[in-house]
Amino acid sequence: MAGRVRDLALHLLDRQVLDTDGRAVGNVDDVELHVPEDGSPPYVVAILTGPQALGPRLGGLLGQWLVFLSNALARNQDEEPGRIGWELVTDLGSAVTVAKSRVELGVHANEDRAREYLVDRIPGARDAGS
Amino acid sequence: MRGADLLGLPVVGPGGEELGRVLDVRLVQDGPLLGAFATLRIEGFVVGHHRVASRLGYDRVDAQGPKPVWWAVRALARRNRYLRWEDASVTAGGVTSSRADLEPVPAIR
Repeated sequence: MAGRVRDLALHLLDRQVLDTDGRAVGNVDDVELHVPEDGSPPYVVAILTGPQALGPRLGGLLGQWLVFLSNALARNQDEEPGRIGWELVTDLGSAVTVAKSRVELGVHANEDRAREYLVDRIPGARDAGS
Repeated sequence: MRGADLLGLPVVGPGGEELGRVLDVRLVQDGPLLGAFATLRIEGFVVGHHRVASRLGYDRVDAQGPKPVWWAVRALARRNRYLRWEDASVTAGGVTSSRADLEPVPAIR
């Protein structure tokens, strides 16, 4: 039986990724393909999310700036994008649902660093919600 | 390899004639089983010249309205063609088709 058909740009890229609790994890910024050595067609093995995946896709100065800023926050010039293995995908609809929580996935390192180094240092930031 | 690396690659025919660019990558969910789902395997490429028009999907899905947009986008995307993976040779610099007469883009059901 033929499988379900999806077009990469039309149906997958930029879709929201939801964790097992329905919370937003990020977007599908790119996908990782495995290229079999026997010449058969490549297939998707992971969803990539974050500025390191989106930056190269955007290209130009904006893309370079996004990757630079993200690497600067990470203090690592070779920071890798957040990677969610295909084996964790449980639903492919208008959003992509995965079988782990946002914390377990650990793909928000940059957001956590931005909170630590920037947002939390804004006077009054720690009083939010109190 | 990343999927987005394929988008925008120039596509040429067997004689080196320009056919357009890769506007989209068609995936079919019948690859190896990983977890609960079969993986998405590349089946072919949507090839053409109008990336933004193609991104709206009117050339591939059964969408009818709004009519003025449908008409304009269909007109821009009417020359889009479909290149099957088995007819394509992919390198970092572009895609070469072994066929000059590419088929119309199959609709997604």
